[in-house]
Amino acid sequence: MNKRDLPSILHVDMDAFYVSVELLDRPELRGKPVIVGGAGARGVVAAASYAARSYGVHSAMPSTRARRLCPDAVFLHGNHARYAEVSKRVMAIFGRYTPEIEPLSLDEAFLDVAGTIRRVGPPAVIAREIRDAVYAEENLYCSVGAATTKFLSKLASEAAKPLVTRQGPKPGLGVKVVEPGTELDFLHPLPVKALWGVGKVTLEKLQRIGVESVADLAALPVETVMASVGKASGRHLHELAHARDPRSVVSNAATKSVSHEETFAHDLFERTALDRELVRMSDAVGSRLRSGGIAGRTVAIKVRFGDFTTITRSITVPTAIDSGSEILRLSKTLLDQVDVGAGVRLLGVGVQSLTEDTTRQLTLGLDTQPAERRTDADAAIDSIRARFGADAIGPAVLATADGLRPKQQGDQQWGPDETGLNE
Amino acid sequence: MKFRCERADLEKVLGTAGRAVTTRGGALPVLAGIHLELAGDQLQATGTDLDLTITVTAVVGGEEDGTAVLPSKLANDIVRAVPPGKIEVTIEGDEAHISAARSEFSLRVIPADEFPRMAEPPESAVQLDGAAFRDALKQVVKAASSDDSRPILTGVLMAAEGDGLRLVSTDSYRLSVRDLPGTSVLTGDESVLVPSRSLSELSKVLDGDDALTLRLGERDAAFESGDVRVSTRLIEGDFPNYRGLIPDSQPNKLVVNRAELLEAVRRVRLLAQEATPVRMMMKSGGLELVAVTQDVGQAHEAIDATYDGEELTVAFNPEYLLDGLEVTSGDEISLETVDALKPAVLRSSDNPDFLYLLMPVRVS
Repeated sequence: MNKRDLPSILHVDMDAFYVSVELLDRPELRGKPVIVGGAGARGVVAAASYAARSYGVHSAMPSTRARRLCPDAVFLHGNHARYAEVSKRVMAIFGRYTPEIEPLSLDEAFLDVAGTIRRVGPPAVIAREIRDAVYAEENLYCSVGAATTKFLSKLASEAAKPLVTRQGPKPGLGVKVVEPGTELDFLHPLPVKALWGVGKVTLEKLQRIGVESVADLAALPVETVMASVGKASGRHLHELAHARDPRSVVSNAATKSVSHEETFAHDLFERTALDRELVRMSDAVGSRLRSGGIAGRTVAIKVRFGDFTTITRSITVPTAIDSGSEILRLSKTLLDQVDVGAGVRLLGVGVQSLTEDTTRQLTLGLDTQPAERRTDADAAIDSIRARFGADAIGPAVLATADGLRPKQQGDQQWGPDETGLNE
Repeated sequence: MKFRCERADLEKVLGTAGRAVTTRGGALPVLAGIHLELAGDQLQATGTDLDLTITVTAVVGGEEDGTAVLPSKLANDIVRAVPPGKIEVTIEGDEAHISAARSEFSLRVIPADEFPRMAEPPESAVQLDGAAFRDALKQVVKAASSDDSRPILTGVLMAAEGDGLRLVSTDSYRLSVRDLPGTSVLTGDESVLVPSRSLSELSKVLDGDDALTLRLGERDAAFESGDVRVSTRLIEGDFPNYRGLIPDSQPNKLVVNRAELLEAVRRVRLLAQEATPVRMMMKSGGLELVAVTQDVGQAHEAIDATYDGEELTVAFNPEYLLDGLEVTSGDEISLETVDALKPAVLRSSDNPDFLYLLMPVRVS
């Protein structure tokens, strides 16, 4: 563990990122309750403006509930490509301060600025400068936490966020620094659910043994915590409660999996309809793998039924794959093991155990499986898409009277529209 | 039903029939059982997963005829656990009693009328050399695929080849071809596709040099040897055309002692973790094996070998290489190659009847 004597790990979190980007293009909505997400009956809230949050709306909430809480809210469909483009520029601003950037998603990242201190100043100054630069150049606010460990800096950025009150949003600190030596003063009064890894179930278990605050947790012997919530999780939480977190900022963290999932406008019962979705998603996953120069040995599917029970199934093959048809073949085999009679609300396909290693077990050119020809076909598909766009070519089963409907990242991520193209 | 016999005999009967019993909790609970039928002194035990059926007959001291289905795993465990000597099995109503020495077990039987009715084996019969056929099976079953999404490749092709029989299997990474000259089972361009799982079980229950009778039907096949009959569903569909994959001649040829290479690959494999390959560096001076796992370490070994050809390094999945080396017969083998990306052919130096072709691993 490299002990830091300065709070040189920053966590930068954009404030209501998706909504704020939308407001750049539609300034007339500024100050109004705005929600980005699926507007349909089964959509979820992806992001809510602070004005909407004052009504109790938060992300991951069903859109119908959000609409009840805040009938005046403006629902926006969301534009993943636009967010990605802005995110890239924001990350580039971070890059002027340090090469050690670990993005967690489009709108947050860890930065290790230990090497920047001599050039710019103490972490508090660097944090302030980054925040100002993002505002000056992108007209977007962010909150920055600075601490000696990753998880403390994330808690600190949370503490720096604008406040949501009944009367509307109030500006927050913007920058919160947890000075070395004061970590426990900052951490211990927090509710235990603030810790990473404390979800609903763990929280209930901890409350059963009388733990409400982080201080309560820290005061217990580690064995007691392990007995309550399980060995690995117990040890981990106990470490966190003592502000011990050895993880360092990993820049360019290797992608762990590439996946697509989609919530349907209506539950799908028919295997043919599900197979068509598998075709779209497998094709998209393959495309993304190849464009990233990676391949994986594990194919997984995720199935959520009408009653929200969710199952995953996976299969690992001897050689890494990146071809849509190969992903499709395996994901169909996985879906064969699932009884879809109850109706499928959400389906997802992903590839894991990724490798950049170009080591590949070669296959015989059997006529049931023309490996080389398929590789050539994938390459041709990729180059046509690169020139003419993602909907220029795709599996024939996806063709409709209106053209192709290939899956794109962020597409329908938060639930289908009212019009429901997925029927 | 009531009979008495030696524990060892019953253990063999239940153990053999139990091999076909599905281990997965399928839709039909009765398939977790072994069907017993006693007529006079003839006991017949049958286990099935519907694709594969194994029937064993034995002579016992019968007292009262009858049929019953016993839970396979439990019955096997009990019979294996009791001391050697006489064992007595009685079925009364829905309970089976098993007693041996001073042990007494009673267990609930599975309703026998739910057990699937087995089709009669096809009538046409051919005799096979049991020992040779068992050897052949061991050579080909490993290269068959276990991937159920490619049903055709989970089978072993049995086809007429000249005046003999040819067995072929492939999982698309390697290909096994075994000829049994003089064994005429099929003629012309006849062929059948037999699930490799059935053949794998068959190779385990075949007894020594017993003669083997093969009965081939349209949709199923039965192998009979001594007291055992193994019946299997056949796979429908066309096996890929494998002939074009076997090169006529290859420019590079390595000749090496089989046991030495086998042992060396087993050692070097220790450092071929996380699906990394073993590299074979072939040059006129001999053969070197290298395995490198990033952040773990590496292994290197040199082996005496004669090599005729261009200096060449080819990488293989060590498991696939070992599978081939283990089933190739003889002291000396040859490995013929074209380059690092083309299939390599493994053969015994003194037996032309078996060939193992494997695709290399492409390394960056």
